[in-house]
Amino acid sequence: MNDTGPEAMNDTGPGPTRTERELQDALEALAGGVRPTRPLPDAYRTARGEWLRRERRRRLVLAVLVAVVFALATLIGLWVLNQAPAHPGVIFSGTGDAVNGASLPRPNP
Amino acid sequence: MRRRQPTPVAETYAEPLALPVTDPAELEREAGLARLFELHYSSMLRLAVLLGADDPENVVAEAYYQIYRKWRRLRDVRAAEAYLRSTVCNLTRMRIRHLQVARRHVESPPELPDETVASAESAALLRDDQRVLIDALQQLPARQREALVLRHWLGLKESEIAAAMGISCGSVKTHTSRGLAALTQAMEARR
Repeated sequence: MNDTGPEAMNDTGPGPTRTERELQDALEALAGGVRPTRPLPDAYRTARGEWLRRERRRRLVLAVLVAVVFALATLIGLWVLNQAPAHPGVIFSGTGDAVNGASLPRPNP
Repeated sequence: MRRRQPTPVAETYAEPLALPVTDPAELEREAGLARLFELHYSSMLRLAVLLGADDPENVVAEAYYQIYRKWRRLRDVRAAEAYLRSTVCNLTRMRIRHLQVARRHVESPPELPDETVASAESAALLRDDQRVLIDALQQLPARQREALVLRHWLGLKESEIAAAMGISCGSVKTHTSRGLAALTQAMEARR
């Protein structure tokens, strides 16, 4: 392989080094000994059941979270509204010249 | 994403007690996942073992769950294999890091799961020199190990390894080179 550094090379030439060849053999041998503990259809069925269960749980948690946030927001809103003073607040008194329709004195130009 | 009719694979593996799925997108996802499972489950399991996962079946199951959740966001079904590979690499790295941290903080480490026994059995079938090499490989930093396994077991190109590991091609070269140098040193020391 050309992309490895010269310090990794045991022998010269463009082909794989001895370590690379040995590594490939060792990896092949180790991988060849790996067998799933369950046959493939069973493994798929088990995994699919687990996906569905986790997905249902995720959606349930999400729905509960949304409901809790909504309920909290509603309660806080009601509490804030309940804190407002009971007597009507005066926005415009309706007294003075405005009652008679007179306008405010204008500054001279 | 291309619409595809469900294949017989999905019908073969479909859970008989599950509710019937009528949504076409859902059917497509089921079929695609069943095909992915049939095609790549064993190779992903082997990849997890070679990367040093102590519970490869859980790692691979989690990777399939991730792809199950993000199926609609996959741009192409052919990209699913690369996504799976990348997820297995990431999950294995996270799992190993978690175990390292846990062992550092817990006086009596928890017992290893049963899958480790299976890995140990397959490792017992190796020759002495291969076992030394595999031991040296497991001692390497996670990134170097991943780069070497992806390069020399899966035979991926640098760009594919970079995509799987989420790093640049230059970093792949560096990790591969350093990993090989360390392995060469370990083998030289043994000889």
